[in-house]
Amino acid sequence: MRDLWDGLPAGVQDVAVLALLLLPLLVTGLVVTRGFAPWPLARAILWRFRWPVLIFALLIAVAVGTGIGLIAQERALRQGTAAAADPFDLVIGAPGSEITLLLAAVFLQPSDVSLLDGAAYEAIAQARGVAFAAPLAFGDSVDGAPVVGTTAEFVTHLSGGALAEGRIWAEHGEAVVGAGLGLPLGAGIEPAHGTGPSAESDAHAGEHFTVTGRLPPTGTPWDRAVLVPVETVWEVHGLAAGHAPERAEQVGPPFDAAYFPGTPAVVVRPESLAAAYALRSQFNGEPGTMAFFPGAVLSQFYGIMGDVRAAMSLMALVSQGLVAVSVLLGLFILSRLTRRQMALLRALGAPARFVLAVVWCHGTALLAAGTVLGVALGWGAAAVLSRIIGARTEILLHTSLGWTEVHLAAAFLSLASLAALLPAAAALRAPVIEGLRA
Amino acid sequence: MAETPALSVRDLVVREGERVLLSLPALDLAPGTTLGIRGPSGAGKSTLLFALAGLDARATGQVLWGGLDLLALRGGGRAAFRARRMGIVFQDFLLFDELDALGNASVSTLYRTRGDRAPLKARAGALLERLGVPDGRRAVPTLSGGERQRVAVARALAHGPDILLADEPTANLHREAAEALAGDLLAAAAGPGKVLVAVSHDEALLARMDRVIALKDGTLADA
Ligand SMILES: Nc1ncnc2c1ncn2[C@@H]1O[C@H](COP(=O)(O)OP(=O)(O)OP(=O)(O)O)[C@@H](O)[C@H]1O
Ligand SMILES: [Mg+2]
Repeated sequence: MRDLWDGLPAGVQDVAVLALLLLPLLVTGLVVTRGFAPWPLARAILWRFRWPVLIFALLIAVAVGTGIGLIAQERALRQGTAAAADPFDLVIGAPGSEITLLLAAVFLQPSDVSLLDGAAYEAIAQARGVAFAAPLAFGDSVDGAPVVGTTAEFVTHLSGGALAEGRIWAEHGEAVVGAGLGLPLGAGIEPAHGTGPSAESDAHAGEHFTVTGRLPPTGTPWDRAVLVPVETVWEVHGLAAGHAPERAEQVGPPFDAAYFPGTPAVVVRPESLAAAYALRSQFNGEPGTMAFFPGAVLSQFYGIMGDVRAAMSLMALVSQGLVAVSVLLGLFILSRLTRRQMALLRALGAPARFVLAVVWCHGTALLAAGTVLGVALGWGAAAVLSRIIGARTEILLHTSLGWTEVHLAAAFLSLASLAALLPAAAALRAPVIEGLRA
Repeated sequence: MAETPALSVRDLVVREGERVLLSLPALDLAPGTTLGIRGPSGAGKSTLLFALAGLDARATGQVLWGGLDLLALRGGGRAAFRARRMGIVFQDFLLFDELDALGNASVSTLYRTRGDRAPLKARAGALLERLGVPDGRRAVPTLSGGERQRVAVARALAHGPDILLADEPTANLHREAAEALAGDLLAAAAGPGKVLVAVSHDEALLARMDRVIALKDGTLADA
């Protein structure tokens, strides 16, 4: 049985789970309404009490939407950040916080990190299994866009093989810009020292970059970055330019350890998966360096967030309980509104199950409308949030409706439709005459 | 041997707490007859009608319809009996405001077996037309008191019941309209074995009934 289930394609499993979750609803509906036509009356009642019905459906939608939105948003964030970290196979830096270095190197968040010296860089660049080792240098900005110094190899790697237009720099003073920056080829750029509002715009007076190429969209903060040769960043800060004076015009590796001013992070492209692991343990074992896979650190991070969520699930349980109680309360209030109609039906001789069917149908229709609306609302809210986060961080977030959300909504609807039987049963217990005189 | 009475009431008592709302030691009605009930407001006329329909859970004693004790049945049995045999015109009409005129007159199609639905709907439509509410699509709130009364009567007659219970059926009608409606009710109750019990203040209607009883303070008084 277990093997059979595991052998099914994921899509089939998801549909099967959905069907299973909706089964209580379908069975209840079938048993309660069989042989009757409760719909015309249920619909007429819904229409007559449309305002309270609408408000109640909206309340349900908000409750459902919050849950759905959170799940969808979290998944979008996970996938978006994982995709952003994808080109960064292995990051090596000075010992410290992996998260801080990850935020700085992958997501270009300004932060203070210690530098690796030339000897450390050389050890990395010459280690076995390294396809390339690109130093990164941060600290300057252009109109709020970060300036990142690196090597042509890394730009090629980041672009996925080819630039969207133009070419990679050939000498000092040339720049490749991210797809999100509206700078045309040939445009001139004046860098400022620092980033954000405190950037000193005239600190690098006289420096000037010319745009020679543009990256294709990557869906990462690098879309808003200005990429220049790492030597240029060093030079702008009055440091050694990475090469001996007789090779001052050289751009790109190899660098001279003696003239290497230091780099906060080195992105390493390993030759193979085995090499990646070997390099990670090699540079984690040395006292002066720290090496990590950004993807692994991210999932570790989300793992911690998951634990936090688990701790919060008690609160979530309480709030879900409150939602359940208010749903039940709302259904009772609505059934009170139709007390006279139900008493009348019974006085006319309608079977008890028909009265049950009418109350259940209008309650469940309302719940279903609220749930569907809630799924749409949750998805919409997550999409809007993704756009906001995307606009702020340039991380491309794809909000999608996953099976988890659909299953959650189906489970809620199924349970709530069972709860809708309670006010229906209560309507049957009320004395007929009181209802008629009400 | 005497024929089984259509209606036979024994020791019917309805109490609300300590208060006796209705106390009727005995009442018999032969098949094919009509009974009028008169009495001042609050005398217990509606209470009696509800008890005869098996609607009052507080009622004790016996209400035998053709020998079948309605009060001995459980709720489901009573409902089935009403649906099959009884047509009730309630005081204050008690229509479904959310349904149109025809929807009200044919409301029982919603819970009857599929085969019964179409003929019942057709009958309800014809009744509405004859009673003077030709447009079945009119919403209840747009109907006058008299028109609502007629829709209520059409609903009571649509399934062809043999027991008709009517609470002030002509109360909202003008002279001629009241006479016409009374005629329709009497005609509907005219078949063999049929029974009409009507509560009314309308002397003209009461005059056309086979028998009239008077209620006062929940008990029989001199008619
Ligand atoms: N649910 C109830 N609880 C307590 N008293 C009630 C209840 N229903 C009716 N009564 C009382 O029972 C008495 C009989 O009421 P009923 O409605 O049968 O009068 P009626 O003869 O139909 O009057 P009317 O001509 O005004 O319709 C009244 O005194 C009324 O106040
Ligand atoms: Mg009355």
